Amino acid sequence: MAGIKALVGLSFSGAIGLTFLLLGCALEQYGVYWPLFVLIFYVLSPIPTFISRRLSDSTESSSACRELAYFITTGIVVSAFGLPIILARKSTIQWGACGLVMTGNAVIFLTILGFFVVFGSGDDFSWEQW
Amino acid sequence: MSGFLDGIRCGDCDCNVDWGERRNTIASIAAGVLFFTGWWIIIDAAVMYPLEEDFHRAYHTCGVIATVAFLMINAVSNGQVRGDSYSEGCMGQTGARVWLFIGFMLAFGSLIASMWILFGGFVVPGKPHTYPGIAIFFQNAFIFFGGLVFKFGRTEDLWQ
Repeated sequence: MAGIKALVGLSFSGAIGLTFLLLGCALEQYGVYWPLFVLIFYVLSPIPTFISRRLSDSTESSSACRELAYFITTGIVVSAFGLPIILARKSTIQWGACGLVMTGNAVIFLTILGFFVVFGSGDDFSWEQW
Repeated sequence: MSGFLDGIRCGDCDCNVDWGERRNTIASIAAGVLFFTGWWIIIDAAVMYPLEEDFHRAYHTCGVIATVAFLMINAVSNGQVRGDSYSEGCMGQTGARVWLFIGFMLAFGSLIASMWILFGGFVVPGKPHTYPGIAIFFQNAFIFFGGLVFKFGRTEDLWQ
């Protein structure tokens, strides 16, 4: 039952994050949809951590593989913030849209982190936890 | 309602671990921020100055060599260089030392080259836009320090 509440809370915050992203594209004063490219970074961001957990025991406290996964994940997160800034500097999107997209980024990445904290650190990393 | 917080684990696993065990994670994240910020700085400069006379495309070589150096430095562990790891690796201890030596030489070389590009290519000739030169310098500085943090900020004592 606790798993369901956390799941609902995390999907709510995920929806809020995506709402910020879409507001940055679809509001009348903005109107361009280039910021949707950050969706690629959202999808890519959990993958290195999944791979490193699959390749080693999930009970290991630290390993080179896990740290490499954190390094690459940080890179993906930085890229999701960097792309809107460059689009705004080049005036492809407006700075207000950039701000909304970055807010959406922050919420989505916190949601993904929340998934890992709540659901990911079980003894065997399986999908049947709840 | 009585058990609804049981599924949330942040109170009893990670937050009570002391600084020593988190060190590797924090070093990896800091190195990632530095390295990728460096690359996004140069992407920004390349996007803002698309003309060849403002930003000579050959200057990208510096950042590429710095990235290769980063990968070389972090490909060998400190244990292999000291000779006290269990597996020899394909080149042995001497090979690991030579690899690390070449990696550091490329890293220092690209940092020096970026300063040379900034001053010799942008400041001294008096180019109207010096931002690309500054971006090249900061890209290489960030990649260099990201490599240092990733190499020396982590301790191998935590590995099994």
